[in-house]
Amino acid sequence: MSDDKMMIRVQGAAKRYLVGTVEVEVLRDINMGIREGEFVSVMGQSGSGKTTLMNLIGMLDSPSDGNIFIDGVDITGKSQKELVGLRRRTVGFVFQQFHLIPSLTAYENVALPLVFAGEKDQRAVTDALERVGLSHRREHKPAELSGGEQQRVAIARAIVMKPKILLADEPTGALDATTGSMIISLLRSMAGEMTVVMVTHNRELALHSDRIVNLKDGNIAE
Amino acid sequence: MHLHSLVLKDISRRKTKLLVAVLGVVVASAAIVAVVTTFSAATGSLYEESNNFGANIIVRPEVRTIPLVTGSTSMGSLFTGENYIEESEIANIYTIMHSSKLSVVAPRLYGVAELGNSSVVIMGVDPEQERNLKSWWNVKGNWISSEGLMHTEVMVGSDIATPMGLTEGSFITLRNGNTSIDARVTGVIESTGGSEDAYLILPLVASQHLLGREGKVSSLEVRALCNTCPVEEISMEIEEKFPGLEARSMSQIVRNELAMVEHTRSSAMAVSIITLLVSTLTVASTMLASVNEKLKEIGIMRAVGASDFQVVSMLFFEGAIIGAVGGIIGFIVGTIASSIAAPLLFQATPSPMWEILLPVTGICVLTGMLASVLPAKKALGIDPAEVLRSV
Ligand SMILES: Nc1ncnc2c1ncn2[C@@H]1O[C@H](COP(=O)(O)OP(=O)(O)OP(=O)(O)O)[C@@H](O)[C@H]1O
Ligand SMILES: [Mg+2]
Repeated sequence: MSDDKMMIRVQGAAKRYLVGTVEVEVLRDINMGIREGEFVSVMGQSGSGKTTLMNLIGMLDSPSDGNIFIDGVDITGKSQKELVGLRRRTVGFVFQQFHLIPSLTAYENVALPLVFAGEKDQRAVTDALERVGLSHRREHKPAELSGGEQQRVAIARAIVMKPKILLADEPTGALDATTGSMIISLLRSMAGEMTVVMVTHNRELALHSDRIVNLKDGNIAE
Repeated sequence: MHLHSLVLKDISRRKTKLLVAVLGVVVASAAIVAVVTTFSAATGSLYEESNNFGANIIVRPEVRTIPLVTGSTSMGSLFTGENYIEESEIANIYTIMHSSKLSVVAPRLYGVAELGNSSVVIMGVDPEQERNLKSWWNVKGNWISSEGLMHTEVMVGSDIATPMGLTEGSFITLRNGNTSIDARVTGVIESTGGSEDAYLILPLVASQHLLGREGKVSSLEVRALCNTCPVEEISMEIEEKFPGLEARSMSQIVRNELAMVEHTRSSAMAVSIITLLVSTLTVASTMLASVNEKLKEIGIMRAVGASDFQVVSMLFFEGAIIGAVGGIIGFIVGTIASSIAAPLLFQATPSPMWEILLPVTGICVLTGMLASVLPAKKALGIDPAEVLRSV
């Protein structure tokens, strides 16, 4: 652990939500580290806080307690504006429901992060689409693509900015087994180049990763 | 691909839903354009009328009233003074200081005579002077001359020519009490839109004879020689020279009418501005609905790197596009509407006012952007973690 660079470090992180007047603790004193280039699976029952943890790492949400370091930078207490810039360059997201924009073609969906980053050079879009094997589908709208293809477009979108971290929350949850394992091997091939964290319910798929982190009752059970 | 092309794609996908918002802007823009176009045409036609009118000053006997009181009971009032101008005094007008500026002095005598079974308004004129004044009349046939050889010569306005079947060469007999005149119609005046359409015009002397008003004149129309003459001053000089007469310059009359048009314009404008406010609400509510519809998409965009500023810019751009499209369509609709309304309301024919296209569209664009403020606020409140979690 010490000789490799820590890409993600979570220190005593907690997340509490106020539901009505009751405070619900979703994550409790989480401590973990993920090395650069590692492929980690996060498992746990529904409601155990997997998505919450991913959102914290992905800077979409901030912890109620504790600190999170991304590539050595403490992101807790950073302004919304700083986080947007940091997120653009550091994290790519893949969701269970793909979350593509229906009115845009595959190419345009992949180009979206570049557009928001103000990047004029869009050669990276072609590269990313090639990487997921969808160069021939670039002009298709999401509705004209299969589920597996849509998820590959989403992966292309997640990697187009060449982020350091790829976060995939149940990327195979909406796909059949064959397509699912194809997506996993795609993610597997990304690891090394980038750090990949994947949430899955499927132990078999999780075995493709370097390491499995189990969440139970808001804490890591290993 | 740029931010604005993202918005344009989104707009083209949801065109039908945005139609309501665009229509709201169209209505407001059309109202403003119609009001501005119609009323500027109305004002324009008033000025034109004042030029066409030919006379710059109208001289009439001043109407004085004396209250009639017996004891303490009011019996109404009595008009005093001869309500006529003495023909013999007209020449005195050339003794005013600015007399060199007077180009036409046209005396007129108005009255009512019987023609067959109906009454007609007759206007006695000095044919030479009148012709100078009304050079723009189109007369089918000939102008009357002072002395007809066999018969008195008359011209008729289009409104009486047709119903009475009068054309050039018709013979008529005009009666007033026991007096009658035989006359020949020399011409019919094509409709001018003015009061002369309903007049029968004959030489002054003949009208004085018929009405039993020898040597009398009802009014004088005076035209000053130049466009920038001090007509008001000339009017005052005339009034000084002729006690008991009042001289009103056309510019005074036009000014009164203008004031009226102006008043109507302000109320119409107020209505337009209310329409604009309502349309802002329409745009705002449509866009608010569209933000609600796009919660997830906005969440995705924020997750893939859209900043607050970019999210807000996209919504403002959408509002601006709605405003611009609505504004331009509204300009067309308003221009067409005023080309229908202005002739009916003010007998004026407007032409498209291209110079207001840009300002009106600009106002509509601002309206659209103003309407985006609330939706933008709502969009900023979207927590991507929240909306993306709930699939
Ligand atoms: N905004 C919120 N307010 C209140 N409670 C929340 C909120 N977000 C999440 N929770 C709760 O936190 C808990 C963990 O949610 P989370 O989505 O992280 O679970 P998960 O492990 O991803 O579950 P799943 O496998 O079903 O996706 C759940 O009980 C959920 O109801
Ligand atoms: Mg989850």
